[in-house]
Amino acid sequence: MMNVTCKDRDRILEDGSAAEWAALEGHAATCAVCGEELRSWKSLSAAASELRDYSDNPALWQRIRHSLAEEAGRGKRRWDLHRLFSSFTVSWQTAAASAFVLLLLVSAAWLTRPRRDTTQSPLLKSRALTDVERAESAYVQAIDKLAIEAKPQLQNPGTPLTASYREKLQLLDSAIDDLRSQTGQNPSNAHLRYQLLAMYQEKQRTLEEILEEKR
Amino acid sequence: MGIMGLALPWETKIPSVAQQERRVEPFREQIAASERGAEANRTEDAALADGCRSGDLHAYERLYSLHGARMKNLARNILGSSTDAEDAVQETFLKVQRSVASFRGQSSFVTWTFRILVNTCYDARRSRLRKREVSAEEEQQHEDAAPRPEPRAAVTHPSLRLALERAVAKLTRHQRDVFLLYEVEGFRHAEISEMLEITETASKNTLFQAKKTLRQMLEPPRARDAAGAR
Repeated sequence: MMNVTCKDRDRILEDGSAAEWAALEGHAATCAVCGEELRSWKSLSAAASELRDYSDNPALWQRIRHSLAEEAGRGKRRWDLHRLFSSFTVSWQTAAASAFVLLLLVSAAWLTRPRRDTTQSPLLKSRALTDVERAESAYVQAIDKLAIEAKPQLQNPGTPLTASYREKLQLLDSAIDDLRSQTGQNPSNAHLRYQLLAMYQEKQRTLEEILEEKR
Repeated sequence: MGIMGLALPWETKIPSVAQQERRVEPFREQIAASERGAEANRTEDAALADGCRSGDLHAYERLYSLHGARMKNLARNILGSSTDAEDAVQETFLKVQRSVASFRGQSSFVTWTFRILVNTCYDARRSRLRKREVSAEEEQQHEDAAPRPEPRAAVTHPSLRLALERAVAKLTRHQRDVFLLYEVEGFRHAEISEMLEITETASKNTLFQAKKTLRQMLEPPRARDAAGAR
């Protein structure tokens, strides 16, 4: 048997194993102090049974049952309301989300809608650019024909006015060359195209005036 | 007689005390049976939880028939009144019904129910104190001012139960809970630790302290002096 002393008593009383208790019982048989302690300890446990009263009150369960049934009814009503509220909320949330998505789509469509007035856009789209370049090329060819017709007069200006026209044409050609070089670097810039067109128109008018003078 | 005064009055009331073994298990047979049928108990516990979760009143009735008496007895020992104890048991069943959906089986359903009961009892105590417009300090003062059980009164006291009730009422809350759950209701430390959310070691230590305190309160001064001299 395990050997225990008086010093082990409290530890065993608190949390002793079965073997330790058996050893303490053996020690208590020969130790008056530990014997009294042990007996007193057991007495307290035995006395605790005095606090045990399991007499039944039959009415208690009926009371509990009634309140449980009542609470279950209330709980069901609460649950129904909760479900109704939940579905209502979800519906509203869905509607709000749909409205928001719709608003986004409309805004996006508004922002990305095709512009009919290209003058408001400083950039030309590729298709419009092709059209502009084609028209410009035809226009330049037509003006070159006028220049060929006016060339004899310009080479031998008979009047100061013709000499002045020649200088003006030289300035316009210089400006046209500059603008063409700029549009070559930035072909989609509509603003440059308009300036170039204005120069061509001015050159056309000047050539027409020279040819008119000849007649 | 060489036995401490504590044992004197009880020996007449509890003749078998001298033959008591080291631990008086209130439900020793039941516990032994439950150890043999631990699996059956777990199944029963799970069935109770499932039944209550599904709102089956028969499951609540089964819970009451198995544990209602212990619940009421524990509540009475904490609250000191049968009427309040019945109210607390009823309130506990309602709380179980309301919160059983959140029970995840982290402890046994029964210990979970008892934890709710213990908390409900202390809520009721606080509520009762508020109704009486007595603050916590005043309660402590009241308890301090309550007549201490006369050491010799235990010998001549007409009711051992009354003496013990008074002594238990003066324990700290944790000491009282552990003493009542272990010594009176027969729960094991593992179950008590789940109910009170403490460790098993803390439960054992608290019980030891509670019993030491109770002995000091109940034993006659002469025996106490003699013990002190030793």
